[in-house]
Amino acid sequence: MGQLTTGEREFASVILLVLMILGIAMAAAGRFDPMGVHGGMVFLYSGALLWWILTSFFGKEPDASRFSSYYDDPIKVGVALTLFWAVFGMFIGVWAAAQLAWPSLNFDTAWSSFGRIRPAHTTGVIFGFGGNALIATSFHVVQRTSRARLADQLSPWFVIFGYNLFCLIAVSGYFMGVTQSKEYAEAEWYADIWLVIVWIAYFVLFVRTLARRKEPHIYVANWYYLAFILVVAILHIVNNLAVPVSLGNAKSYTVWSGVQDAMVQWWYGHNAVAFFLTAGFLGMLYYYLPIRAQRPIFSYRLSILSFWGITFFYMWAGSHHLHYTALPLWVQNLGMTFSVMLLVPSWASAGNALLTLNGAWHRVRDDATLRFIMMAAFFYGLSTFEGSFMAIRPVNSLSHYTDWTVGHVHAGALGWVAMITFGSFYTLVPSIWKRERMYSSALVEVHFWLAVIGTLIYVFAMWNSGIIQGLMWRTYSPDNTLVYSFVDSLLAMYPYYIARAFGGLLFLIGAIVASFNIWMTVRTVPVAVQASSDAPLPSGIYGATTSPAE
Amino acid sequence: MDFDHETMLELSKVWGLLYLILFSVGVVVYTFWPSNRARFDRAQTEIFDKDDTPWR
Amino acid sequence: MSDRLHGKLERTAVGFMLAIVVAGSVGGIVEIAPLFTIHETVEDAPDMRIYTPLEAAGRDIYVREGCYACHSQMIRTLRDEVERYGPYSLAVESKYDHPMLWGSKRTGPDLARIGGKYSDLWHVAHLINPRDVVPESNMPSYRWLATTQLEISDLGGHLAALRAVGVPYTEEMIASAAADAYGQSNPDSDQSAGVTERYGDETQVSAFDGVKNTVTEMDALVAYLQVVGRLTNAAYENTAAPEQVPDPNN
Repeated sequence: MGQLTTGEREFASVILLVLMILGIAMAAAGRFDPMGVHGGMVFLYSGALLWWILTSFFGKEPDASRFSSYYDDPIKVGVALTLFWAVFGMFIGVWAAAQLAWPSLNFDTAWSSFGRIRPAHTTGVIFGFGGNALIATSFHVVQRTSRARLADQLSPWFVIFGYNLFCLIAVSGYFMGVTQSKEYAEAEWYADIWLVIVWIAYFVLFVRTLARRKEPHIYVANWYYLAFILVVAILHIVNNLAVPVSLGNAKSYTVWSGVQDAMVQWWYGHNAVAFFLTAGFLGMLYYYLPIRAQRPIFSYRLSILSFWGITFFYMWAGSHHLHYTALPLWVQNLGMTFSVMLLVPSWASAGNALLTLNGAWHRVRDDATLRFIMMAAFFYGLSTFEGSFMAIRPVNSLSHYTDWTVGHVHAGALGWVAMITFGSFYTLVPSIWKRERMYSSALVEVHFWLAVIGTLIYVFAMWNSGIIQGLMWRTYSPDNTLVYSFVDSLLAMYPYYIARAFGGLLFLIGAIVASFNIWMTVRTVPVAVQASSDAPLPSGIYGATTSPAE
Repeated sequence: MDFDHETMLELSKVWGLLYLILFSVGVVVYTFWPSNRARFDRAQTEIFDKDDTPWR
Repeated sequence: MSDRLHGKLERTAVGFMLAIVVAGSVGGIVEIAPLFTIHETVEDAPDMRIYTPLEAAGRDIYVREGCYACHSQMIRTLRDEVERYGPYSLAVESKYDHPMLWGSKRTGPDLARIGGKYSDLWHVAHLINPRDVVPESNMPSYRWLATTQLEISDLGGHLAALRAVGVPYTEEMIASAAADAYGQSNPDSDQSAGVTERYGDETQVSAFDGVKNTVTEMDALVAYLQVVGRLTNAAYENTAAPEQVPDPNN
């Protein structure tokens, strides 16, 4: 706030006023519909932000010196929101997992039944936790690697608060039954349109900041962030094309039907994994790993090759979600082929990360933050291998529709996405709040082990249950009849569902520990004496420098 | 539309493959182009430049 | 920094973005574009019906409650699936499905051939409390559906939106949507004759939840479940081999 000029404050107020009016319009048009509730939420959300601006509207204006420092305030808010969504999304996840073992845990209410909280979990962690983490770290990385301040003062706030308004509308909608049923794109048409607007602002801000860079070459981490922003926009728009019942009705029908809808949905679904949950987080990896390990990336060229490999191959792989279905066979085979080829750039990235650490293993041993990043690279390698394997048609005939897929997704989501995020945050937080170190390195250690053990319990439980389930469904007796009924296979799952909920609970506790630790870092750890320097390091960067803040 | 299914398939399969090959060659050439070496090496180490302010 | 240099930098960034878009979009285009013409090649189903207003409303409830998160509607071309669930699913069967509900996970069984497999009464009892019927089940209970009145006044709007995306509803169907929804769940009412007239004799008219003179969400959901997989008989006429023989030309 203190960094906005009066003109920018006025402009922000105008935007919020327009949003408030939109909220009223939505509430009026959708008064017989969940959309009306969303109208009220838009009104209150923008009203609260407007009130916040107006209370300091006549505060001191920033002087021109603001341009000589990085713009970290939006990142700080982004970090807080990331942690909020992490705890929220993971809590809903544990709850949903527990409902599979104890179905009465929805207490007979509609809003908390499994089918409604499941998208709240996936959206909460993917878009809430993952998306906020990506936006916050992308603001940090693009400024540092371009040596340029964010190109605009107001739009970072628009991106962060606008994006979280999308998450809020999406998640609250699922509890009310507002959903398109498209997996990982459940939000309804008006939320989707809003996300497009926010995303354009994000894209423009990111590219304008890149354009202010000092070097002609763009650092590879930014490539990944840029691919994330661009491709997610394409995916989001194409997959969400829909015709609403009326402007006052939350319900819409997608323009795609049947086979084509399935192909579009999984083209989107798989590339959401690729560009939301992989490309963006690889951007994180390629910045925070070298910074934390104090070693340059093992091979920069390899990172370029794997970038184009991932950008190109992933887009073909979605049809492996539709093996043996009514989708034409050649499309299935094409998807399988590219999924297997995808292993090459994926392992190139994972190997590149692990080889960067080669020679710094003593740091990995002593520094739980670096260990988070290493574990993330390890799980990235593991789950990409698993993914390519599961895309092979005969393997997929066993794994598809079972918990194996769920286990695979969580090896990626917990092991890769969440761990790289926490590793990056433990590096980022002391840096932008200018603290000497985290509040407690012991708590980082505790979090690390909770995360690792939680992930392993979860993944092993789901591997077991998935393979057992898949095998039971296809077990024949000697006289050629199916041996197990569906209910037999369900009964066999209960122990694993309980184990899975427990593993998830450990991971959730870890996220709470992290939030506490970061909160205490901001609150209590003294501000570090600013190591004054505007200049590049005089000499080598290999170990001779001061160790990273912690 | 005067595209029938066969034409569409043909386009997809033939041009898709050609595109894949050309694209891969392009990327490899870019990556190993000798004059790019300097900027890659620079980018690799540049992130360690210690500073906490934008350059202008 | 001079303007010229600045311009060059922005150009490289733009070229780079174009490269990402080109690299990223081709895979999707190659796989999706031919599907625009897929109906030239898939099995034709002249007997294909479309959902009645009540069934369409039930489908919306199926979507709303997230049933697709645990139930697939896509029987794969695998022997054990065909023997467990029925004839494998054909592309034509979901021709009018906006969105498709093929699903990705079977916490519960596949539902592609659920229509007609159980009685209305079984479905109602099962939805009210699954464990009354299947003691081992971990499905949530949906008892509130039986007491929630279905919003039928705006069903015409729903059909109109579906028509806009390609489902062949007529003006007449849209105009009489609410009456048809009432008629389908009240067999002896004046409105019930129009339903079969407009949607075909195969359409099931029944007091799905067992209570007449009301149209509840339970009526709609059960009506939908009873029609899943029964819009066409194509799948039953085309079940020679469980595994599709790969066609070298396709």
